[in-house]
Amino acid sequence: MHKEPGERRDFLPEMIGHLGRVGAREVVLEEGYGSGLGIPIDAYLRATSRARVASYDECLDQDVVVVVRCPEQDELRRLRRGAVLVSMLHFGTRPGRTALLASLGVRAVSLDAIADGSGRRLVENLEAVAWNGVRAAFQEIQRRHPHFDHPSRRPLHVTCLGSGGVGGWAVFAATRYGDPQLRDALVAVNVPGVEVTVVDFDLTWNEEYMLGRLERTDLLIDATRRSDPSRPVVPNAWLSALPDDAVILDLACDPYDLSATPPVVKGIEGVPHGSLDRFVFPADDEAWNHLDPRIETTNRRLALSCYSWPGLDPVGSMRTYGEQLEPLLAIVVEKPAGEWGGASGSQLEHALDRAEVSTWMRAQAA
Amino acid sequence: MDARAGGMTFGFPRMHKEAAERRDFLPSLIRLVADLGCEVYVESGIGSGMGYTDGDYLSAPDVHLADEVQAYAQDVVVVLRAPIGKFDMIRRGGTLVSMLHFPTRPARVRHLEDSGIDAIGLDTIEDDEGRRLVVNSKSVAWNGLEAAFVMLERKWPVLTSRERRPVRVTVMGAGEIGRHAVEAATKYGDRERAELLMRYGVPGVEVVTIGRNLTSDAQYLKRHLSETDVLVDATQRHDPAVPLVPNDWLELLPRHAVICDLVVDPYLLDADPPTVRGIEGIPQGNLDRYMFDVDDPAWDLLPRGIPTRSRRPVVSCYSWPGVHPRRCMELYCKQLAPLLETLIERGGLRGVRPDGSYHERALYRGSLRAFRRADGSELPPPPEARLDLVGASSGDTG
Repeated sequence: MHKEPGERRDFLPEMIGHLGRVGAREVVLEEGYGSGLGIPIDAYLRATSRARVASYDECLDQDVVVVVRCPEQDELRRLRRGAVLVSMLHFGTRPGRTALLASLGVRAVSLDAIADGSGRRLVENLEAVAWNGVRAAFQEIQRRHPHFDHPSRRPLHVTCLGSGGVGGWAVFAATRYGDPQLRDALVAVNVPGVEVTVVDFDLTWNEEYMLGRLERTDLLIDATRRSDPSRPVVPNAWLSALPDDAVILDLACDPYDLSATPPVVKGIEGVPHGSLDRFVFPADDEAWNHLDPRIETTNRRLALSCYSWPGLDPVGSMRTYGEQLEPLLAIVVEKPAGEWGGASGSQLEHALDRAEVSTWMRAQAA
Repeated sequence: MDARAGGMTFGFPRMHKEAAERRDFLPSLIRLVADLGCEVYVESGIGSGMGYTDGDYLSAPDVHLADEVQAYAQDVVVVLRAPIGKFDMIRRGGTLVSMLHFPTRPARVRHLEDSGIDAIGLDTIEDDEGRRLVVNSKSVAWNGLEAAFVMLERKWPVLTSRERRPVRVTVMGAGEIGRHAVEAATKYGDRERAELLMRYGVPGVEVVTIGRNLTSDAQYLKRHLSETDVLVDATQRHDPAVPLVPNDWLELLPRHAVICDLVVDPYLLDADPPTVRGIEGIPQGNLDRYMFDVDDPAWDLLPRGIPTRSRRPVVSCYSWPGVHPRRCMELYCKQLAPLLETLIERGGLRGVRPDGSYHERALYRGSLRAFRRADGSELPPPPEARLDLVGASSGDTG
């Protein structure tokens, strides 16, 4: 993936071996594949005799191109007409790119749109979003809290906004400081644990309640999925109620896009938008000053934000994606895209078909 | 017939449990199995608890109506809850697919082995990360919380008042069920109720989750109970012999507070060590009865020696997902479909490889054989399988 330097992820040799086993004629790997993970290219070549190394251009010129984060638009134009692209494409929030893929005749399958009949995503890593973010946040708290590991301290108070997919995992992770080993160590010496309070949209509107809650919060987590991304859940003014040493964790990672109609802002107003290269922003960090001046940033606390939280544990992340993708890629290898999801198609074939750009666009239009 | 099916037959018997147990597998799953080339025998009356007729199941030519004995006599028998007392109807070498709970039912495991039944525990089918593939923890949480808020409204009518403070829910346990319980609690266990109350400007629900490192802190927990309107047990205890909340602590809960039991551990006082419930002294319910006010006779029927003096209204059900049977079975059928496809494709359980595809690996992990291997007490293959091994090179008996 040609993204920020902190983006080190590539699929693991196990998945490349799987592609060979399910009948891929050839598996073309970009030079340096796996190097960000410290995996030598030989490990991939040993995984299947059908693997070979080539340039990035040649990789883009294959029948099927598989990459977690979406290539840039000029790179998409280099894909073959009729080729299958498997990637995180976010059709709904990237209308321009979606239209481009359709116009190029690329059979684009969005990993984030592959869902079973009940709507459950089959390729996701919300667990890693929560665990990686919460772990990083508690590391910052531990660094600053004078009595973090002392039995006399009170329980830590976490407030989690949102109780959905990410929120559920964030609660779980927060009760364990994002680190089961740390939790075991603290339990062993009778250090009080973590109380996690979850509030959803039926309480977050209540300013009086929220200000009272924020006053008692050591870690504030945004795990919301807002129906209206133009309005923050926590306006910047409310952040003044947080204790000075409180930490803010942005797991939702909505971007700021003031050019959109309506504009998109973060759930906690004023928090900088981070990446794998930089995701910790102290209250005096310059990043706060670099936000669009129309965004209110008067009240600041140490904040963590990362566009790709799973990327903090690149091997774990790619192991999960690889395992989830195995049965789906077997279908991609076995059947042309036009034949997915016919009357005799399996459940997975139908899931794949629903996540293909032309089917997705037809469903949206219907 | 589809070549993959290799002449396999499937039986789908009914469950015949408590009267309110209305679940059966849906016609869509039966049709899927038939479309994959298998003869399918469904017990007459299947699905009737959810309003289906026998005719709804007979839409494919290879589906046949049968009596219970015939349904159990097929190569693969699929029934949701363990068919206690009916194992003898399954033929030697047959495969039983059901919620079998191998780790906690040693007697059942022995019985299956003695009967030569090759079994797959739906509850032990897991992916490579240990995640269950046939599971409905979401319904456990949502149905339990829905019942809890129905009970809370009875005991605390201000629940629907705009003037009240936010409701306070305490969830003990942050695991799989606890996670869903948190989301369900923020929505009163019922999205329609949540939308309605929000529309009327009624303050919402504050959910506090505490894990093991605080549930074991008696001072903290006792203080917290006095501020709790709904107390949810979603714990997985290390030591089931010790309750997390001793009975006398229940006095600390407000009078109107409701206890929501999502764990439903049994009382096993004769076991060594004995098993008691996480919240001591509360009754255990089932689909016929799962709401218990403080004067319910069920409290007095608990085993002698269990203190029940302190009481608050309780909701408890052995099978929470069964409260909304059709919704539950739609999910199970979707989860089970690709697994049965794989089972058929591999010509039965003996063809399922521990290093095969994603679904094969998961199926293998759910098998009795894999459980025994993990348990360190691997058994020789059942008699039929031994014969197959003598005559077949691939181990695939399809």
